[in-house]
Amino acid sequence: MSGSLDSYLVLSGLLFAIGTFGFLARRNAISMLMSIELMLNAANLTIVAFGAFVKPLQTHAAVIALIVIAVAAAEATVGLAIVIAIYRNKKTPLVDEYDSMSE
Amino acid sequence: MNALLPLIPLLPLGGFLLTALLGRRYPDDAHRIAIWAVVASWLVASLVALMTLVHIAPFGPQGSGITLWSWIPAIGFRADMGLFADPLTACLLIVVTTIGMLVHVYSIGYMAHDPGRWRFFAYLNLFMFSMLLLVLADNFLLVFAGWELVGLCSYLLIGFWYPRRSAAVAAKKAFLVNRVGDMGFALGIMAIWTQLGTLNMQSVFAKFGAVPHEWQIAIALLLLCGAVGKSAQFPLHVWLPDAMEGPTPVSALIHAATMVNAGVYLVARCNPIFGTASEVMVVVAAIGIFTAIMAASIAFTQTDIKRVLAYSTLSQLGYMFAALGVGAWTAAIFHLMSHGFFKGLLFLDSGSVIHSVGGEQDMRKMGGLARKIPTTYATMLIGSIAIAGVPPLAGFFSKDEILGGAFKNGFLWVWAIGFVVAGMTAFYMFRLMGMTFWGPSHVDPEVEHHVHESPRSMTGPLIVLAIPAVLLGLAIGFPPETGLLHQWLAPVFEHTIAASGRTEAAYTFFGIDGTLAIGTTALVAIAIVLAWRLFGVEIPALGLRSQPRPDQVRALSARRTMALLYKGSSNKWWFDDINNKVFVEWGGKLAAAAFWFDQTVIDGTVNGIGTVTAGAGMALRRVQTGRVQNYALGIALGLIVMAAGYLVISVTVR
Repeated sequence: MSGSLDSYLVLSGLLFAIGTFGFLARRNAISMLMSIELMLNAANLTIVAFGAFVKPLQTHAAVIALIVIAVAAAEATVGLAIVIAIYRNKKTPLVDEYDSMSE
Repeated sequence: MNALLPLIPLLPLGGFLLTALLGRRYPDDAHRIAIWAVVASWLVASLVALMTLVHIAPFGPQGSGITLWSWIPAIGFRADMGLFADPLTACLLIVVTTIGMLVHVYSIGYMAHDPGRWRFFAYLNLFMFSMLLLVLADNFLLVFAGWELVGLCSYLLIGFWYPRRSAAVAAKKAFLVNRVGDMGFALGIMAIWTQLGTLNMQSVFAKFGAVPHEWQIAIALLLLCGAVGKSAQFPLHVWLPDAMEGPTPVSALIHAATMVNAGVYLVARCNPIFGTASEVMVVVAAIGIFTAIMAASIAFTQTDIKRVLAYSTLSQLGYMFAALGVGAWTAAIFHLMSHGFFKGLLFLDSGSVIHSVGGEQDMRKMGGLARKIPTTYATMLIGSIAIAGVPPLAGFFSKDEILGGAFKNGFLWVWAIGFVVAGMTAFYMFRLMGMTFWGPSHVDPEVEHHVHESPRSMTGPLIVLAIPAVLLGLAIGFPPETGLLHQWLAPVFEHTIAASGRTEAAYTFFGIDGTLAIGTTALVAIAIVLAWRLFGVEIPALGLRSQPRPDQVRALSARRTMALLYKGSSNKWWFDDINNKVFVEWGGKLAAAAFWFDQTVIDGTVNGIGTVTAGAGMALRRVQTGRVQNYALGIALGLIVMAAGYLVISVTVR
């Protein structure tokens, strides 16, 4: 294995920060979903990095990462389905416009 | 035979239900049911009373009861639906059912033209049921039920002509004033329960000696409070004169002969309680004798014929309380019975007078009626002589026993006041007779030629009632203090009298008793003659004839010392004004203040909490934007804060 654990963690931290920023700042529902994927993958990267560098965690990390991938896939499916359903009603992907439940 | 007891109250109850159900459909005939129900009840009650008094088993001097069913069988609390009859009950039964029946008969004529006649008779039957329940009940809770029911009937009947405002107001007044007394009674019953754990009268009396003395006094005072309310004693007497707004048969039955006696009955029934709490006895005597003289003084100047009789009733009830207070128990019941008959008679007579002069109640617009309504006149004269205490009529014996009892039991002050009241009674009764029946006529000429004797259904009861008014004293009160009534009631009162330590001295005609009787009779005679001189008399058979002298009356009442008395008397000693000031005006202000406090402080606090909460909600609502990203920002910021905090702590701790 090349490099150290730190570089992986820094990378995943950066990815997570980008995802968070995207989720908070973007108004487009599709972009927000993509940002969520980014955050999930940053977390996943951390997990596998720990699995690679800490021997006793190797199998656990692989299993957890697989579960996260499965959850992320399911989440993306449901999320996209919702976005498409709303888009058909509202004719817009911008979440600001989804305000029919506010006053 | 004990099964006869429930029949007595149930017959009028059935009569009430049937009359009330059928009255609307048969308004002209429904009252017959009510009358026959009361007649039947009278028959049964007479039988029971007779069996009790002459000791035919199962009835007898020790009393006999029947428990119908367990009324309130709660855990740790038990009240039975039970009836009980002993000689005291028997005496009350005689008075209540006899006068009740006669009043029913009388009302046929008196209420003949009233469209609400069936309603009137239904109420009367309900009243009979309630009163008989009160008299027959064997536990305090049942007595209280009857007590409240008679109060309700009194309210309904005073306000019988409810479209008349004064009647509605008087009914309300009677109800409210009675509530004050009833609350005392209710508290007394609760006190008995807490101390003894039973409400059955006989077991309460048997165990009462074991109660701590301060509780004995408290219970006696609370029961007295109830009795004072129902029997219209000072200071709760104000409702009775106003109760005269009801139809006159009601005044006779409820407000003279029966219901107002309930207080006297209660105290007499509870004689073991009052006998143990001897301090309260003095209070009873003081209240009674004060009411007697106060009411008699008011009766001097009233001009409404029924109000004179109402104040007379107060005064005579005061006598009974005084008798109870001095320990002359039998004398009190004796006076209750004789007063029931002659005051019932007088009220029915006054009703007959009012009926004959077309509804006029003001005695100043009467006069000279003696020849026009002879039966009414004759019976009312008998009633007046009886209440005045002229021997050998009923009132003489009973009043004499009260005064003698007060004197011999050491209550000289009670005797002295009672002695004066005896003279006052004779005076105001003959003032009433003079103004109503003798002298020149002041009847409205319009009404004058319509004046007629009442129908036979009205004069019949008058004649029947006149008989006990004359003979009752001789029949059951003679010879004095050893007569029939004393033999009958001895088992009821003997324990209390024995416990009081007073030995009843034998009646000595050539001694103290005879002297007292002659003294009272002399005073009564003087008072009657005085009334004749001032208000006239016209009894040709005795050669008595004198014209009223209104100028002398006026001159007398204008004298300086008399003027004040006159003013006090005619203003009923300002009791109504005091009550009005204290309870209506000041009480009203207090209520207004309480209302303000409730509205601003109590409701203000509650509403304030509501307003603040709602306002806070309105303000905080802005936080809820509905945008997921805003929430997510919160989560992210929170996460950053927590992570930073963790770092800072882990660095500094290490």
